[in-house]
Amino acid sequence: MEIRLENITKIFVQKDKSEVIAVDTLNITIPTGKLIGLLGPSGCGKSTTLYMIAGLLKPNGGRIFFGDEDVTDTAPEDRGIGLVFQNYALYPHMTVRQNIMFPLENIKVPKPEAMIRAQEMADLVGIGELMDRKPKELSGGQQQRVAIARALVKKPRVLLLDEPLSNLDARLRLQTREEIKRIQRETGITTIFVTHDQEEAMSISDEIVLMDFGVRRQMGDPQDVYDKPENLFAAKFLGTPPINIFDGEIKNNNIVLAGKNIGKSKGSDQKVVIGIRPEGFIVNEKGSFELDVDMVETIGRDTSLIINDPTRENNTFRAIIETKHRIKPGDVLKVNIKKDKLFIFDVDLGNLIN
Amino acid sequence: MLEKQSNLKAWLYLLPAMALLLVFTFYPLFNAFYLAFLRDYSYLNGTAEGYTLFGNFIDVIQGANFRIAMKNTSIIVFISVPISVMVALLISVALNSIKKLQGMFQTIFFLPYVTNAIAIGMAFAFIFHQDYGLFNLILGVFGIDPVNWVGLGASWNTAMFALLVYTVWGGLAFKIMVFLAGLQNIDKQYYDAARVDSTPKWRVFSRITVPLLSPMIAYITITSFIGAFKAYRTIIGMFGPTLRPPGTLSKDSLITIVGLVYDSIAQADAVGKISQAAAASIILFLITLSFTGVQMIISKKRVHY
Amino acid sequence: MENFKETLKNMIEKIKEVFKRKETTYSEETIDIKDSKRKAIIYKVVVYSFIIFFAILVLIPFYWMILTSLKTLEQVEEVPPTLWIAFKDMMFVNYLNALNAAPYLRYMLNTVIVATISTVGTIFTTIFAAFAFARLNFRGRDIVFMVLISTMMIPGEMFVITNYITVSRLGWYSPFNQTFGQALLALTLPFMTSIFYIFFLRQAFKQIPDELYLASKVDGTSDFKYLWRIMVPIAKPTIITITILNAMGTWSAYIWPNLVTKEIEYRLVTNGLRNAYLDLTGRIAYNEQMAAAMIVTFPLFVVFLLLKKYIMRGVSRSGIKG
Repeated sequence: MEIRLENITKIFVQKDKSEVIAVDTLNITIPTGKLIGLLGPSGCGKSTTLYMIAGLLKPNGGRIFFGDEDVTDTAPEDRGIGLVFQNYALYPHMTVRQNIMFPLENIKVPKPEAMIRAQEMADLVGIGELMDRKPKELSGGQQQRVAIARALVKKPRVLLLDEPLSNLDARLRLQTREEIKRIQRETGITTIFVTHDQEEAMSISDEIVLMDFGVRRQMGDPQDVYDKPENLFAAKFLGTPPINIFDGEIKNNNIVLAGKNIGKSKGSDQKVVIGIRPEGFIVNEKGSFELDVDMVETIGRDTSLIINDPTRENNTFRAIIETKHRIKPGDVLKVNIKKDKLFIFDVDLGNLIN
Repeated sequence: MLEKQSNLKAWLYLLPAMALLLVFTFYPLFNAFYLAFLRDYSYLNGTAEGYTLFGNFIDVIQGANFRIAMKNTSIIVFISVPISVMVALLISVALNSIKKLQGMFQTIFFLPYVTNAIAIGMAFAFIFHQDYGLFNLILGVFGIDPVNWVGLGASWNTAMFALLVYTVWGGLAFKIMVFLAGLQNIDKQYYDAARVDSTPKWRVFSRITVPLLSPMIAYITITSFIGAFKAYRTIIGMFGPTLRPPGTLSKDSLITIVGLVYDSIAQADAVGKISQAAAASIILFLITLSFTGVQMIISKKRVHY
Repeated sequence: MENFKETLKNMIEKIKEVFKRKETTYSEETIDIKDSKRKAIIYKVVVYSFIIFFAILVLIPFYWMILTSLKTLEQVEEVPPTLWIAFKDMMFVNYLNALNAAPYLRYMLNTVIVATISTVGTIFTTIFAAFAFARLNFRGRDIVFMVLISTMMIPGEMFVITNYITVSRLGWYSPFNQTFGQALLALTLPFMTSIFYIFFLRQAFKQIPDELYLASKVDGTSDFKYLWRIMVPIAKPTIITITILNAMGTWSAYIWPNLVTKEIEYRLVTNGLRNAYLDLTGRIAYNEQMAAAMIVTFPLFVVFLLLKKYIMRGVSRSGIKG
């Protein structure tokens, strides 16, 4: 089931009558059978978007399509969606079995069949042995799976997950995100999930939709978004440690950073924002930049350096280099900059300049 | 605790309240038991003819009105409370599900809470007036002849019916208030989840709302039972101090257990009457105590989930 | 190992089956939007009709009371009764007659005096006691508090008997002679404190953070000053609630004033209600009776509408009411 959002806008009216635009003329097309991560900082409108797809919130403008069908005015109960809430919303007075069977009761599936389907679904998510427990007797991860089973049991057209991992501890989070990926692949259901955690989104999504202030900032394959950020926000939001930002300029088609040419650009002469990923520095005896190493953090796989830079706000930035270079604090390191880890953005809007 | 003990100072702060409570609450509590065990006590002279263990209780129980009072009280308790709990539950759920005009309707439903039981009792008595009352007017629309509900020589049945209508009406407001507060505490996500799963409204009510609210329903039901056992003012309001329709026999009285207590107090000057009042009040106490016990057991078990 | 693979295969087959089943609930593209909307509208109509129906039932007694109180006695006795009267025909004079039928102005004065005395008394005793329970540390505190709480469920009738004797013994009430001052004592003193209010206010006091108390201690503030300058102002909403509930209780008091006052003139407003309202020919003047009921009810309405939020606070805490 392809899902298409066309010019979706959601405005919330505050208590004091002021209006907040939560989602602003959003256009997204979500291809069939894919796992899509809606990613953005808190308050960016991603959960609002999810709830509008679910039908629990009504957009103020725009249309929502499931396939060719306009569902904008369709009630949530008629949309054929499965929704997993952030805190799971398992009915506390029902057992796991009753919870999973509940959606089937509503569509009048005969009880014996409902029992079988509930058991199948519970086995699928790996909680088949816990059917007679109450939710409060389960761990967070198990509750999560019950919620997924309940959402899937009626065979929805779309599965929606609201911050599915945020209530889990770090270890479970890793495990569960693989689980979600597996379930999605095995069922082939179009799945949209919301998260503020870029690592989470990148690790399991087929595509991510990056949102900020209710606006879509970029959409695509996670690696593509990382490699080719379309704007400063996308560049900054993805990647740990985050991208380093410098002030620079374009002069006669040269990109100039700290008085040195570091590349070519077709852009007209202007001040620009230069972003260099931490892994964008190559140690080179003849390198054109000198890095004044302040601290060295050994990780094992590579080495993270904190570099003194008095021109920057917090006086430092970060570089990641291969471990074969043995660096001590106080060393001065000569480096070049990898072209594909270097991005320039215009100062006003933060859009990428080629 | 934050600081060292300060016994003297604390008791000084407590003194005014405690002194009053001692005189008007704790002493009366023990004295009620003492009085109930005195034989032929006269409070005017302060004399008694020794003690009796059950004498006063037997006098109360064998009194002409006791069985009537028990019957009336039980009917009021076990009919009016379940009805008003159910109606209040439905109203609060409906009220909770609307947005427009919710505040206005809330105010309307809460209104009976602040009214005066005597004044409204009089209004109800007049609504049930045979000739001039609204109730018979409405019945007339359905072709039913006027009934003498509470007037001269009215039967116990009709009078009790009218009283029950009034009691249910009067009990709604408080229950709606409490249920509404409870409903607003239920996580909205359960309802969103149910909607997404295409749950019909009535099933949301029976499978989600009622179970989640069940501790509160049990609590309200039992406290309302206890409250209804103390019915008295409503009856005064409708029927006046005689507690029955004019021109009827005392066997048709709508007296309750509390009515028994006050009847005995009203005759306090007569020898032994005050002891009977005490005995009746202790019977009432024991009944409410047993309900409180049930309440405690349920509230321990009420972990419905 | 073979076995394991077999199981895995089976499982995957099963999963595929589940999702391949023909009777998928949401057969694609069949959703009728109009149906969605129609259901929602029908539901709304049903819910609102239900609410309006019961709202009318709740309001009818009030309407009937007001309507009757404004009719002439002839209109009252019309069969069938009229359901509406024009403004120009409204007999506001009934209210005047009702006021004169019983010493109502005197009752109101009495009620105001009694309510003021008992409320002020209650507030003071409650504040002190709640402070001791909420903030001070003394031996037996928890036991005393438990005992107080458990007396809350004892029916008041148990106390009334002895209090009646006590009041008589103290000479405040006698069927033969009683001064207004004695009547006032009998009407107010037993109600100058309340365990429920102490409990209620203690809860409010408990919510005030300990840091405020510690800070005031550092500044050398005495407990007494802390109570009046910090705690009482912070807990003001609760104290207002107590004031309103207590005053409304006095306004509606009926049984106790009847028991302990000799002179009719010493009683309170609600007592006036069961007065015989007869016209000159001895008929019951229902219009005046209802006017009297309105006189007692109306101020409660006004207080409720103006101070709803304070009253609701109290209600949500109180457990028991008939």
